[in-house]
Amino acid sequence: MKLQLQNLSKRYGEKYAVNDVSICLTPGVYGLLGSNGAGKTTLMKMICGVLEPTSGRISLNGERIEALGEKYYEHLGYMPQDFGFYPDFTAREFMLYIAAVKGLDKNKAKKRTDELLHMVNLSDVAEKKIRSFSGGMKQRLGIAQAELNAPSILILDEPTAGLDPKERVRFRNLISDFAKEKIVILSTHIVSDVSYIVDTILMMKDGRFILQEPMATVTDGIEGKVWELFTDQRAAEEYSRRFAVISLHHERDSVRLRIISDTAPGAGAKAVRPGLEDLFLYYFGEDAQMERSENENAGQV
Amino acid sequence: MLVKYEFLKILRRRSTIAVMLVSLIITAVFFGLPVIQYQTYDGNGVHRGLEGIRCNKERYEKISVPLTNEYVAETIEEVKGLFGDPANIGYDGQEKFLVDDAYWNDIAYRENLLDLIAANFAEPNVTVGYNSLPLVEDSVETDFYQARQDKIEKIINDPSRKLSETEKEYWLKMNGNVETPLQYGYFEGWKVIISCSELFIFSILAICIILSPVFSGEYQTGTDAVVLSCRYGKTKLGTAKIAASFLFGLLAFTLHIIVAFAIPLGAYGIDGWDLPLQINGTSVPYPLTFLEGTLVNLGVVYLVLTAMIGLTLFLSSEMKSPYLVLTIVIPVLFIPMFLSPNGTAGIYNLLVFLTPYQSLIPNFASYISYQVGPAVLDSFTMNAAVYAVLTLILSPLAKIGFKKHQITG
Repeated sequence: MKLQLQNLSKRYGEKYAVNDVSICLTPGVYGLLGSNGAGKTTLMKMICGVLEPTSGRISLNGERIEALGEKYYEHLGYMPQDFGFYPDFTAREFMLYIAAVKGLDKNKAKKRTDELLHMVNLSDVAEKKIRSFSGGMKQRLGIAQAELNAPSILILDEPTAGLDPKERVRFRNLISDFAKEKIVILSTHIVSDVSYIVDTILMMKDGRFILQEPMATVTDGIEGKVWELFTDQRAAEEYSRRFAVISLHHERDSVRLRIISDTAPGAGAKAVRPGLEDLFLYYFGEDAQMERSENENAGQV
Repeated sequence: MLVKYEFLKILRRRSTIAVMLVSLIITAVFFGLPVIQYQTYDGNGVHRGLEGIRCNKERYEKISVPLTNEYVAETIEEVKGLFGDPANIGYDGQEKFLVDDAYWNDIAYRENLLDLIAANFAEPNVTVGYNSLPLVEDSVETDFYQARQDKIEKIINDPSRKLSETEKEYWLKMNGNVETPLQYGYFEGWKVIISCSELFIFSILAICIILSPVFSGEYQTGTDAVVLSCRYGKTKLGTAKIAASFLFGLLAFTLHIIVAFAIPLGAYGIDGWDLPLQINGTSVPYPLTFLEGTLVNLGVVYLVLTAMIGLTLFLSSEMKSPYLVLTIVIPVLFIPMFLSPNGTAGIYNLLVFLTPYQSLIPNFASYISYQVGPAVLDSFTMNAAVYAVLTLILSPLAKIGFKKHQITG
């Protein structure tokens, strides 16, 4: 299976939300990273065929998705960001309804609904109205509906947003279970969510891919650019002004700083093994820090 | 299967139940008011409500007769005789009328019939009562149906109507099919139904309110992205939504019709269903009974409903919120209430008669016609054709609107 995006662009007025993106996706889990407004959601909507590109083309195994029509959507499972439910439907009714829209026959729909509700741990509340569900339960129902047709292309847009840490771990495991033999595109700006489950990192900025790397080697490019050092409070403030500080940790009388810099930020700085979050900050700098503090405030990180 | 779920989605919404309940109550009140407020008088005083209806119905037993020329002539003679005795006559400064026993014993029980006969001999657009019967000349009173024919010819030849020769011919031909002598009788229940027909505008509004979120509700809640990315999202789903909406709309409206018809027909009885419309106004050219006339009108009302459902669905597929849909649907339904026709001719009037509100009013005696080339269409046929075409145009447009919907938010 090959999902190919060729020179894909989406323009709103003068602004490009997605700008000349090209990639060939084969089965695997892709972590789509980028700060808010980077174009991740717009790109996913175009892949899902719910938003027309301004230019470029998307093809599956060489055939344009417009020409494939229903056949393309048979391969697709999509969990959009912040999507709504029908509050007066029960979880089971919602699943059976989506199964009908996906074209599953009645018996298969029932069987698959039972399986998936069990997998996402919603069997006990299957007959309850969705209006009574918590955010986490709705997210789980969201991924269950995306899996109904056992899609070979699974698009998940910020699936862990708004979940508590325990729910996020559960969710990561679910995605791993569903991901076998599929093209899974998982968008998030919470980098820790993807580091465990993705094969390839796709990083977007200003509507373009700025990085496409396998997870195993994705941080190689910033090897030797992440530093740790101990200093006092006053100096720490000075470092924060001058460098991209990833973390700042108070330890008794000193402060431990983790800094991204092409060169050693100061005496006593030790180069450390970079992580995905370091990479994210390396590319997104202040934007990412701002988002990170927003997420911390919202209890997401 | 999809239609079933879409139907369930409409039915399950709390707002659906609330709007339906309110609308059914309003319908029951509108069609129940004539029953509750009904009153009739006889020598013993006033009789109200169901008791009044029963009294009035009994009176009709005496006058449920064919209106032959002879019967009409005798009746006029009787009234003339009563007016011949000065002791029977009252005068209010403008016109004479019968009083005391002469009125209560000889007029009251058949006043509607006498008014009908009097109106038959009067000039078009002139309202008269039984007290004008003494003015009917002896020479014409013997031919009730000739007088009717003369009046109809005067109506259609009125220059202000601007009817073409083809249209005149159309009306005369239709009128030629009216069977005479007319059978008179009790038809109060049907009269209420016909006269309250425009009140179905509120039932139509209720259904439009319920259906306004069919597409826009998906956009508003964000479920559009999920369903449109499914196999049948851009194909069968749109059709299923439209089918479920029409199914719901027709069933919900039929429920309103049942309530609206059951109340007057339950109270007044179904008597009169087989009587000709002409006994409620002799200049009516439609050769229909009350039941047939009601069904013809109901057919138009249903087509107005389907077109309004089509419009609601089309707007719903194009707009991001059900409230925006209603900002257009409500004016379309209610602004024509305030557009009064100033005649039956001219583009303005003919268009006003085609508006949803005016289309709900059965204009049996208005001689409104539309000439399209050599073909003449009466207002019922024209309304039916316009709203059927609108339904057929708007429904597929709704499907296209949903299919082309872009998830931009």
